[in-house]
Amino acid sequence: MSIAFDRRRLLAGTAAAGLAGLAGPARQAGAQSAPRQNIAVRVERDPEIIDPGYRTGPHDGNIIRVVYQRLIRHKPNSGEMELDAAAELNQVSPTVIEFRLKPGQMFTDGFGEMTAEDVKFSFERIGLEPPQGVRPAPYRGDWAGLERVEVTGQYTGRIVLSRPNAGLMQIAIGDVSGCIVSKKAVEQRGTEHNTRPVGSGPYTLASLERQRGAVLRANPGYTGAKPAFSEVAVRFIPDHRATELALRSGELDFAVLPPNVAEPLRNVQGLTVSAQPGLQYIWLGLNMEKPPLNDIRVRQAIRLALDVDQMLVAGYNGRAPRLNTLIPSPIEGHWPEAPVYRRNVAEARRLLNEAGARNLRLKLLVLNQPAFQNMALVARALLQEVGITVEVDARDGGGFWSAGRGDAGRDIEMYMTVFNGKLDPNFLMQWFVSSQIGTWNWQRFASPEFDRLFEQAAAELDPAKRRELVIRAQQVMDESAAFVWLTNNVSLIAHRSWLRPASVPGWLDWQYDAFAVA
Amino acid sequence: MMRGETARYLASRLVTSLLIVLGAMLLLFALSALVPGDPAATLLGPQASPEFARQFIREMGLDRPLHERLWIFLANVLTGNLGVDVLSGRPVAGMVLSVIPYTFILTFAAIGLAVLLGVPLGVFAATHRGSIADHVLAFISVAFIAVPSFVVAILLLLVFSIWLDWLPVLGGGEPGDWADQAKRLILPTVALSLGWIGFIARLVRSSMLEVMAEPHIRTLRAYGISERLVTYKYALKNACIPTIALLGLGIGRLLGGAVLVEIVFARPGLGRLIYDALSVRNFPVVQGAVLVVVVLFVVVNLLVDLSYSAIDPRMRQAQRYARDGGAG
Repeated sequence: MSIAFDRRRLLAGTAAAGLAGLAGPARQAGAQSAPRQNIAVRVERDPEIIDPGYRTGPHDGNIIRVVYQRLIRHKPNSGEMELDAAAELNQVSPTVIEFRLKPGQMFTDGFGEMTAEDVKFSFERIGLEPPQGVRPAPYRGDWAGLERVEVTGQYTGRIVLSRPNAGLMQIAIGDVSGCIVSKKAVEQRGTEHNTRPVGSGPYTLASLERQRGAVLRANPGYTGAKPAFSEVAVRFIPDHRATELALRSGELDFAVLPPNVAEPLRNVQGLTVSAQPGLQYIWLGLNMEKPPLNDIRVRQAIRLALDVDQMLVAGYNGRAPRLNTLIPSPIEGHWPEAPVYRRNVAEARRLLNEAGARNLRLKLLVLNQPAFQNMALVARALLQEVGITVEVDARDGGGFWSAGRGDAGRDIEMYMTVFNGKLDPNFLMQWFVSSQIGTWNWQRFASPEFDRLFEQAAAELDPAKRRELVIRAQQVMDESAAFVWLTNNVSLIAHRSWLRPASVPGWLDWQYDAFAVA
Repeated sequence: MMRGETARYLASRLVTSLLIVLGAMLLLFALSALVPGDPAATLLGPQASPEFARQFIREMGLDRPLHERLWIFLANVLTGNLGVDVLSGRPVAGMVLSVIPYTFILTFAAIGLAVLLGVPLGVFAATHRGSIADHVLAFISVAFIAVPSFVVAILLLLVFSIWLDWLPVLGGGEPGDWADQAKRLILPTVALSLGWIGFIARLVRSSMLEVMAEPHIRTLRAYGISERLVTYKYALKNACIPTIALLGLGIGRLLGGAVLVEIVFARPGLGRLIYDALSVRNFPVVQGAVLVVVVLFVVVNLLVDLSYSAIDPRMRQAQRYARDGGAG
């Protein structure tokens, strides 16, 4: 087994021991219980790029969504949409969406009023093939099917698609990829726009400093509802324990933490800790091409030998809900009747005997994070009982995320991973199509039926029909026995009791502009 | 004559230093080629499309042979260009410059505190050899050396920030607010310096005992020079020479190696810049920042070596002796 002795674990253990000793006299956060005009929130990664086209992840996206406006946006704490920069937005046909902007929406730093030309520029720079020498937008897939944006007036335009895209509102138009930049500012500032953005949203970026984070200041020129706080300090704090101490000391008002760190904060006066299933999806994948896993009976045996509930207890103290299929319940196409596999050692052994698989030795690749390592240890013990010896290969992010790419992916046997979700089924399904083999489909799951269902669901605008297609796609995944679904993860948020946070369901996409005094 | 000697010595040390920097960079480039992990996949996860990943690799220069990358990097360095962070488009030099004041302040504060406490403790232990105080100081010094700085950091935070509520927990302070920055410097400085206090105390004690046993000290005592003068004027000066060499190493090490303390206190710094960049395989930032650390390390040690020979006449004598082939 090659589980690394991890600095973070040592740090966590030491801090836990220290905390236990000092729990009694530890100062409570009550001194910070009065609402303020400014708040400090924690992020786990350094904000890098505050440009919607080149963002590096949700931590950038959360800042981008408040610096820029979109045509539509999510209502606070809801998956539903409401108008933002658009006065009107109409889907006039499966492939044409018309918009009309509200007049008088001004970009900061004197870059003038938002026009339909800015909308065209913003969407096409992400969704279309870039000119020679220009870096393609990493999130180009969000705008799948975009053909062009036509400007029909100063404030009006048409988004024209080459094929219908059912997820376009949720994934692109209403989210970060739909943020409207100032064409003039991007052209004038070039790469500097990544860190000195010009938007028209509720906040402006007052500062962005390496290793310190960002400071957002209320935009006096914003024409929408004013945010409750005049300043939001988005602090980059890499360590969970340091975050916990900052919450206790009152230097921080809001943070997302793993359960083992957040739970002790429940007893701290002036702090509130709450939990909600996330939109991430975590599963154990089996490489369908690699012998002996290319035999479906071996894959079925592994699925039956594992005890998902026991793994979740080890990984998340039992706080994370079990996932039985790809699409979780808040998303269209959830399969409520998905089989809940219970551990059946006898049946697992029978399947292995039938497949002639004896004394198997398999490698399980995981991220070197405590939750994954703990679940891997349980999986190893459970599989040992049916005669499968597992070697756990725990790697840091750099080593892990490239392991399944290209030909190297052929050598993967079992792996456990986490992907971020959005409120659209196709966003979650996209990594499992055949064309993703060698990229993100590490199971090397190649199903023409799944590929067809994926394409149909992406273009199906009728919710009922789309639901059927997505459920059938999940059944195909289930039949392959290449996926052992584990959980949607659980986010525990700790915040001042007077603070009411807001997010799109799933607690990945925070709406800082909708944070309010409770 | 002396000026010529010094110039020659300086030139040879500069050449050696340059070779050290070159060697370190060569090693870094070789190691970065061996580190597994695709930067695009690591930074962006599933959103990294193959076309984006290709472009990313191209912009980082990772599609070129190792020697070509090293050559381009060094050629750029000569023009003052440490490269560009391909992710944000920011110049690496700017990123390094933005964090280096925090690193300098923390390093020199920690080493300063270590000297301020370590030297008197070492002298006290040496002048009270075998006493209970000497044994207690020996125990404390070894304990300081043995306990990792990040453990000390967390304990200090618990006691002084949470329990007593005297000092803040996070960050390097608001830019321009010196009082805030000073307050936020106290705990990281103490956390980093404790180990060095122990080191210096032990080193000064043993050096002092060695020097105190030398004939010239006996002679001074025989001349009736007071014990205080013997200890603090004649013995301590010689006993401090090994400590100066240790300080050179200490400063060099802390410039890039205070990463755990920087993480615990969420404090900007060079070590953390390298650590964060390496964890996402952001090689241009790693290369630029490591080069700065290596250069600083070499410069600090060069200065220490020069001061060493300035302080200790025996060193000058040895250099002259070596030059004249032992002919005196």
